[in-house]
Amino acid sequence: MAHKSEDLFDCILMADDRYHVEGYREGFDEGKRQGMIDGRKHGASHGAKLSMEVSFYYGFGITWKCLLQNNTDVKARKRLKALESLLGLIQKFPHEEPQYEHLQEDMEKVRAKFRQVCSLLNVPTDFSEYVKSGGSGGISF
Amino acid sequence: MSWVKSVQYSGEDVFDEDADDINLQDKEWKYNMKKRVRDGYVDGIDHGKEASLQLGFNMGYREGAASTMAIGQLKGIISAIQCWCQLQRPDTPTPASVTDLLQRVVKHEDSLMEAMRTALENPIPSVSDVSENMEDLGVGEVESGCCGDGGCSKGSDCCRKDSDMDLGPILPQKPRLSFTLPTDPFTIIGESLEQLLQCCMDIVSELGLSQELIRHLQQLKSATE
Repeated sequence: MAHKSEDLFDCILMADDRYHVEGYREGFDEGKRQGMIDGRKHGASHGAKLSMEVSFYYGFGITWKCLLQNNTDVKARKRLKALESLLGLIQKFPHEEPQYEHLQEDMEKVRAKFRQVCSLLNVPTDFSEYVKSGGSGGISF
Repeated sequence: MSWVKSVQYSGEDVFDEDADDINLQDKEWKYNMKKRVRDGYVDGIDHGKEASLQLGFNMGYREGAASTMAIGQLKGIISAIQCWCQLQRPDTPTPASVTDLLQRVVKHEDSLMEAMRTALENPIPSVSDVSENMEDLGVGEVESGCCGDGGCSKGSDCCRKDSDMDLGPILPQKPRLSFTLPTDPFTIIGESLEQLLQCCMDIVSELGLSQELIRHLQQLKSATE
């Protein structure tokens, strides 16, 4: 008799579990799909903005390097040195890698170097465009 | 005889008390089991999201970063040229071609971000949707080339790529989709970027600036083709 009622309770619990698991599996798949979409959206936005900013500094730096290449005066040499430093920093910085542990740190270094370069070039810059919105809406020089 | 009506209405035998109980228990059981399924579903969704959010973020981050590299560099280049013009010739206004190109670059950048947002808001439809669309649009151009010669024997859904990953890629320069929707933003933006790069090269030539810079721009242009 006791044996029979144990079976009965087991059946109930197993059915309970089974339905829960059934729902869970379906939910998990749906959640995985939603998570991928949401995550990808946010990741893309972050990646795009950061890359936009870093690439801007790179393009800016490489242009000035080309323009000053043939100058031999002291001022130009100092500027070129700073430009090389900026370009080197960017090249070594894996900014397209989201798991890079020093992402923020290196980004700050790059920004600081860019500011230094601009002051050496006597170029006034407004950074608010980059710090807040990733460079959209035009820049002011 | 109103009780007769009520019996017909409820569909139960009023005199069979056991049947009554069993029916109720049955309903209660079903209700509880459905609830278990729902609870399981809710738990599952939470855990599923947790499991894939970071994965999705990493994937999106790399895609987003790749998509703005060229346009970001171009913006930097053109801005530097603008500064150069202002510093070298402070008394003359910056050439209109330069300011114009800068504006176009900024506009392109904005549309790129918008296109990316839209694409990720509405992931690529499933294969069955795609086959309907392909028939509607009469699309036949496919990278694999298997539909190139007078129709494909396998049918309209043979050229699906990325069907296992129904979210689709978002790199604007090289769309890997095997079909082109009429309002596909990626192809439009891809052409625009090449034009902007070409325009920049022309300006650098006209102003007699560095040859090396032109080579760099050429490299950027080749990378986007």
